[in-house]
Amino acid sequence: MFLNNSFGKTVDILHRTMDVNSLRRQVIADNIANSDTPNFKRSTVNFESQLRRALASEQLSGRLKAAMTNSRHIPFEKTMDYRDVRPRRVLDYLTTSKNNGNNVDIEEEMMLALQNQMSYDLMTRAISNQFTQVNIVLR
Amino acid sequence: MGLFSSINTAATGLSAQRLRLDVIANNIANVDTTRTPEGGPFRRSRVIFRPRVSQPYYRSPFLPAALDNGVGRGVRVVSVQKDMDQKPRLVYDPTHPDAIQSGPRKGYVEMPNVNVVNEMVDMMSASRSYEANVALVNGSKSMFNRALEIGR
Repeated sequence: MFLNNSFGKTVDILHRTMDVNSLRRQVIADNIANSDTPNFKRSTVNFESQLRRALASEQLSGRLKAAMTNSRHIPFEKTMDYRDVRPRRVLDYLTTSKNNGNNVDIEEEMMLALQNQMSYDLMTRAISNQFTQVNIVLR
Repeated sequence: MGLFSSINTAATGLSAQRLRLDVIANNIANVDTTRTPEGGPFRRSRVIFRPRVSQPYYRSPFLPAALDNGVGRGVRVVSVQKDMDQKPRLVYDPTHPDAIQSGPRKGYVEMPNVNVVNEMVDMMSASRSYEANVALVNGSKSMFNRALEIGR
């Protein structure tokens, strides 16, 4: 929807990030629910760093480019479409913080949950602002 | 992935920790029980937890998509087990009706293998975990309420 203008793109990015936040909350809830399960390893969700890379790769026009004279040449930097960035669940399998092989740190998870909630609230507010701006124009 | 998945996941943690608290309360209540229907003193029970969605054991942070069982859905109580590993505590009390009548342990009473200090520590741990899950449910609730306010 209106993906060629700034409004549509902003709303689309916020929408995707909120979806990922919802997934991350589920993963955090699973970590906390399993905080006493033996041999459970916590998971995290990676998304924002990839999204940032994809968004930064769209603004590469001024940079040095590799001369590509053959179809098999590899470019210096590839532009990524931010819509192709998918959240990745990553298992933290190396650490152990309790005697029963579990590595869920409840304080850390609660902090992540709070952070997740606040960033979700921030994004709902940002989306609301976007729609308010459109309403101002329409009025 | 639904809207309420995180609440459901936290709810599994709530019910598991609640069951753990119930079992601990039962252990503490039976700290002096010397007679049980199955004979012998009371044995402490313990709760065995397992993740609801078990991922294959894979020594890498990135699971191949074919092996991935999806996002975890919380915790499941597999069973409530009697702790038969720890021997009953022996207390010398010859006048007790359940005292051992003969042999080298004559006059001793077999008391449950419940250690009240351990149980209290477990209780603290269970109630803190319960609170963590409650905090998560409340947070999710306010998150979704905030989402409903988009466009107001």
